[in-house]
Amino acid sequence: MWSRLRSFVAALFRRRQFEHNLSDELRFHLDAYAADLVRDGVAPDEAARRARREFGRIDDVTLECRQSRGLRLVDASRQHVRYAFRRLRKSPGFTLTALTTLAICLGAHLTIFAVVDAVLLRPLRFPQPDRLVTIYNTYPRAGVPDDGASVANYYERRGHIDAFSALALYRTDAIVTGNAGSTEREFVTRVTPDFFETLGVTLALGRSFTDAEMTPETGRVAILTDVYWRERFDADPHVIGRTLRADGMPLTIVGVLPRGFDFLSSKSRLYLPLASSDDDRRSENRHSGSSSHMVARLMPGVTVAVAQAQVDAQDAAIEAHDPQAALFASAGFRSVVVPLRAAYVASIRPTLILIECSVLLLLTIGAVNVANLLLIRAGRRSKELAMRQALGASWPQIIAEVLVETTMLAVAGGVLGLVVGAGGVVLTAAFGADRLPLGARMVFDWRTVAITLIEAALLGLVMAVPVLWHARRAHMMGALTAESRTSTSGRTANRLRHVFLVAQTALAFTLLFSAGLLVLSLKQVMAAPTGFQPDRVLTGQVSLPYRIYDNTRRLTFIDRLSTALHREPGVSAVGITTNVPLSGNANRSSAAVAGFTPQPGETPHGVYSYGVGAEYFKALGLTILEGRALSSSDTRHHVAVVDEDFAKRYWPDGHAIGQRLFRGSITAGRPDDAFTVVGVVAPVKQAALSEDDHLGAVYYPYDESFDSSIYVVVRTTMEPERLAATLARVVRAIDPELPVNNVRSMDARVADSLVTRRSPAVLAAIFAGIALLLTAIGTYGVLSYAVAQRRREIGVRMALGATPRQVCVQFGAFGVRLLAIGSLAGIAGSWLSGKAMQALLFHTPPLPIGIITFVAATMAVVCLAACLAPSLRAARVSPTEVLAQG
Amino acid sequence: MGKTADLLPGTLDLLILKAVSLKPLHGYGVLLRIQQISGHALEIPQGSLYPALYRLEHQGLIVAEWGQSDNNRRAKYYTLTAAGRRRLREETEGWNRLAAAIAAALGTTPDEV
Repeated sequence: MWSRLRSFVAALFRRRQFEHNLSDELRFHLDAYAADLVRDGVAPDEAARRARREFGRIDDVTLECRQSRGLRLVDASRQHVRYAFRRLRKSPGFTLTALTTLAICLGAHLTIFAVVDAVLLRPLRFPQPDRLVTIYNTYPRAGVPDDGASVANYYERRGHIDAFSALALYRTDAIVTGNAGSTEREFVTRVTPDFFETLGVTLALGRSFTDAEMTPETGRVAILTDVYWRERFDADPHVIGRTLRADGMPLTIVGVLPRGFDFLSSKSRLYLPLASSDDDRRSENRHSGSSSHMVARLMPGVTVAVAQAQVDAQDAAIEAHDPQAALFASAGFRSVVVPLRAAYVASIRPTLILIECSVLLLLTIGAVNVANLLLIRAGRRSKELAMRQALGASWPQIIAEVLVETTMLAVAGGVLGLVVGAGGVVLTAAFGADRLPLGARMVFDWRTVAITLIEAALLGLVMAVPVLWHARRAHMMGALTAESRTSTSGRTANRLRHVFLVAQTALAFTLLFSAGLLVLSLKQVMAAPTGFQPDRVLTGQVSLPYRIYDNTRRLTFIDRLSTALHREPGVSAVGITTNVPLSGNANRSSAAVAGFTPQPGETPHGVYSYGVGAEYFKALGLTILEGRALSSSDTRHHVAVVDEDFAKRYWPDGHAIGQRLFRGSITAGRPDDAFTVVGVVAPVKQAALSEDDHLGAVYYPYDESFDSSIYVVVRTTMEPERLAATLARVVRAIDPELPVNNVRSMDARVADSLVTRRSPAVLAAIFAGIALLLTAIGTYGVLSYAVAQRRREIGVRMALGATPRQVCVQFGAFGVRLLAIGSLAGIAGSWLSGKAMQALLFHTPPLPIGIITFVAATMAVVCLAACLAPSLRAARVSPTEVLAQG
Repeated sequence: MGKTADLLPGTLDLLILKAVSLKPLHGYGVLLRIQQISGHALEIPQGSLYPALYRLEHQGLIVAEWGQSDNNRRAKYYTLTAAGRRRLREETEGWNRLAAAIAAALGTTPDEV
């Protein structure tokens, strides 16, 4: 076996030498034989002639020698390729259409596949990434599906769960770095000492944090990413021990991360200790996670299920001593262990799968289209094919020919598709792929290239099947008569072409319908009331360094800021809040209502809680339904405003004003801690425009017990973006060290929040548009062929008195029939796809009549337009000409 | 292209292996050697000799090497490989068995039935 391969490869790659040696050897034979003949007394001339004659045809011998080396197949394929190329060049219209179709479909698929690959398929870039898991607390019945993991969880689990070889906690944060006048906000991740060990990452320089550095007092150390180290410290190899200023305090650098380190899609360039107090670590606080997350590494050979069982057992043991355990249990509390990647991409997964499915649908439509064009072409060529078969072309030879041609076409389409796809990847990366988890890693590499080319080659093989089937039938049906329209073979081939066209129509119908559903759903989301007035509102985030802005200084800052901003021209209201709706972070906590006893089976609810200052309600445009808004004079007063959802749940009789509630803790506190409800506002979309959970919200007067990172909300009388510079200037005038970040208008935030709905809708619409065009091409092709095939019949009928109009209508009706069957099948497909997409849709039925009508009308217009030209051509057939041709 | 009636199908390969097993030979030498050892009783079609040589070389039963011929020309010499030697032995045994069986069959007289 090995020797054969070697001799084949040697012959193949040293072809010239092989041929040279072969002819040398044969010439030697002839000369030697002739010389022997001369020695026997034959005249030299006669000897050479005899030698040649007795040897046989040299060409045949060399050919047989080549065959013995397995070179025949190579030679034949080379010839097939040349032949196929010539044939494709002879029908440029067909070739161009097929290549464009394949290039667009394969390119579109490549683009989408690059996203899917980056987000769902490629392993995380850590050693043994499948052993990384995350553990989060969930309270599904309280409307809080993912509440992260708390500091207490970390200390109770670390070293106590055998299933984990390492375990760490992290929290993203932002700090202000640099000196006065040139400060910048920097994203950081706060981590526990074992974070890098858990991920399996070794530091390039220095060390990770120590347990002793995990308190606010001792945690003044930092680890740099490679990027930050190069940019800010000029890649100083002796950077360990140097300091950097963060939030006005010096931090000592203890380590530098290796190049390319990137935790999920983290924007952090600095890693700081996740400091906590003794109080945070007590098991009473194990349910106050939310902003921190846990990552753990499974021991080799341990499954997620085993780890889950161990975590459950520990939870049960701890909760056994907790008086509040029943409450949490009724909220459905559990600590869930999930593979890190799965948890991270869970939210985007269904959307990506949807887009991948729609692009696969498009690819199928394209392939069917090209297959049909090939079949039409095969119909035109069937006489030639029959002739060649009659002249001795063998069946395997014809198979090879067809396979070579379709594969060549598909692979050429694939190569062009690579160009289209490369453009698509660049475009997608430019437009928002960085908003996908891990999307920023989208790459166009050998892997995507290989997959596309393999896909193209397979497509080529599949597309050959109907053509071969056609050729086979023609062959069996007694070749030369096959082309005549009455023969069975002609009819079945036509039927196959029509089935393909119907299938294509049905698929395009389904794709168009799915795009319509997504657009309708997007419109529904956009039409849903937000509860605030997003137009002409500018928002920006200011992080007040915790150590400098203690208690009263924070309130003073807010006062000065709102007063100063209010004085600026174009500002009509200024508000302060701990969070704005649709910001991407949504902090839910609990609130307990005095005198409220949950019904049996009722679970505590998470509510959105805000600390607001100045004229927040006016600035964001919330509607006061009852009572009054909060104002600056409410600071440090125990008053609160609730939204209608909250009020309805706890005081269904409508007497919310004057009622009392407790902030944070689920159990009621001391009477002094109670907040009195002074107003009710209309509910606001908090995390997404499509949210439907009516969790409720409570607004408290902002004070130092709230987060030190605040949003400034400015309602303007002009384009909100034009006020951005003013905002930064006013903040700097109060404190030159404070930058304003995350400056965006509310309109922009609303638009951003829709990106995961808009992108699929836009993509599906593009795909549907292409599918529609392909269907038009397919319809045109099939009908044109039918007309060409039946020219003689048309001519005869017109000679016998049929009017051009009748002929035109006949072909039009034929097109309509195919369209109707395709549309009916399309409606069935639409129903299926509508059902499958239900989870991704917002207030959209699975089969809206409006969209079906619209799609049917669009398909009808496009397909009938495609029928028009061939039908008219049929009507213009000249009977005399046709009959003269015989 | 086809083999002559003088030579039973498949026997050319066997004869080539045998010829080459005696001494490394070039193509023309193989032809002469077969004629010589068969007592000039077998007519070898010259044209089918080379495809057979190439096939045997492809199968790894013989190897070729370029060398000098007696009249100082560049010629390709074939030598038997270990695999070729094994094949020759097997085929020879097979041939002998077949020949004996056919001889026995053809030598049968009516009384022996």
